[in-house]
Amino acid sequence: MADLTYDPDLHGELFSAYLDGQLTPDEVTIVSELLDGDEDAIREFVALRNVRTSLRMLPEFEVPAALLPDGHLGDRLSAYLDGELVTLEHRRVTKHLVECSECRAELQELDRARIAVRSLPGVETTMTQEIAATPRRHRRRRIVAGGIGAAAAAALVVGLAVGGGDEPVLVLNDLATQHMARASAEPGFAVLPSAIEVAAP
Amino acid sequence: MTDELAPTWEDVAHRHGRKIYNFAYRLTGNPDDAADLVQEVLLRVRKGLPSYQPGSFEGWLWRITRNAFLDGIRKKKRRPESALPEGDHHSLGSSPSPDEVLSSIRLSDDVQSALLKLPYEFREAVVLCDVVGLTYDEIAEATDAPIGTVRSRIHRGRKLLRGLLTWPI
Repeated sequence: MADLTYDPDLHGELFSAYLDGQLTPDEVTIVSELLDGDEDAIREFVALRNVRTSLRMLPEFEVPAALLPDGHLGDRLSAYLDGELVTLEHRRVTKHLVECSECRAELQELDRARIAVRSLPGVETTMTQEIAATPRRHRRRRIVAGGIGAAAAAALVVGLAVGGGDEPVLVLNDLATQHMARASAEPGFAVLPSAIEVAAP
Repeated sequence: MTDELAPTWEDVAHRHGRKIYNFAYRLTGNPDDAADLVQEVLLRVRKGLPSYQPGSFEGWLWRITRNAFLDGIRKKKRRPESALPEGDHHSLGSSPSPDEVLSSIRLSDDVQSALLKLPYEFREAVVLCDVVGLTYDEIAEATDAPIGTVRSRIHRGRKLLRGLLTWPI
């Protein structure tokens, strides 16, 4: 081992990996022997270390804030109302709603808009006829969506009652009643009890 | 249960968004490309998370990032080696920075333009190692290359940079 001579092509790579702490103990031994007195080896090592240091000292840019989620529910609120969230995400959203009055307010507005669209004159009648005439598979989807709306509204009522928030509970109750009335024709809104359970603690 | 194991895409965004942005910025020298990449990666992460198997999260995330980056380049019909924009990063000077920061940016400008002169595989390996801070194992997983290749690319990248950078001694 004493006659180990430095060969840039052979050993340079070891220096880089050594600087990154990626060598085996045996390779580390080789590097320390090479650096023991060989000027070319030392020069190469120092140069690589300088390059590495200047790369690592490059300033880090802040990612523009607009690219990151702001922690609120955003488009998941509509998906929530429409019953499109899978269990785990549904639970997270419910949990967030209990804690965040901003998202509760937004959910309430979305829900109002949703109800307004759904209560357009004529829609009710056609829908009722359609429901009577459509095969059960199609019916279920529509009703389940309504049921989750009811669950959401009910969860809000509970959340507000527990949190003692000052939003008009009456309006929410009203939302809940409307949803309940609409959805009560079907057992599809069994989500209701679990939603209350999540909101209660 | 799974709640603790699987991060949400918001977690990923807040924990890794900045690194993803810097990865693309250093590879292209262009803030717009970096912003595009962050958006695309977060979209893919959001779609991919439900099927993510607990394992090397870094490897998984950076494979997604790298693929999104390369797809972006293909879409823009750029050739990754020579046609990546060079010098766009000078727009950086327009952002309000104190004088002392400006001087360090001048120096980092040199490093940035030297980086842009490297062949893509070397630039990518060096950026993943020195800017993102991945281990050789993670880089191997992210770039689908054997670890020996990763080691060689990092070294050759740094060696080329050494020739391109002049040291103020």
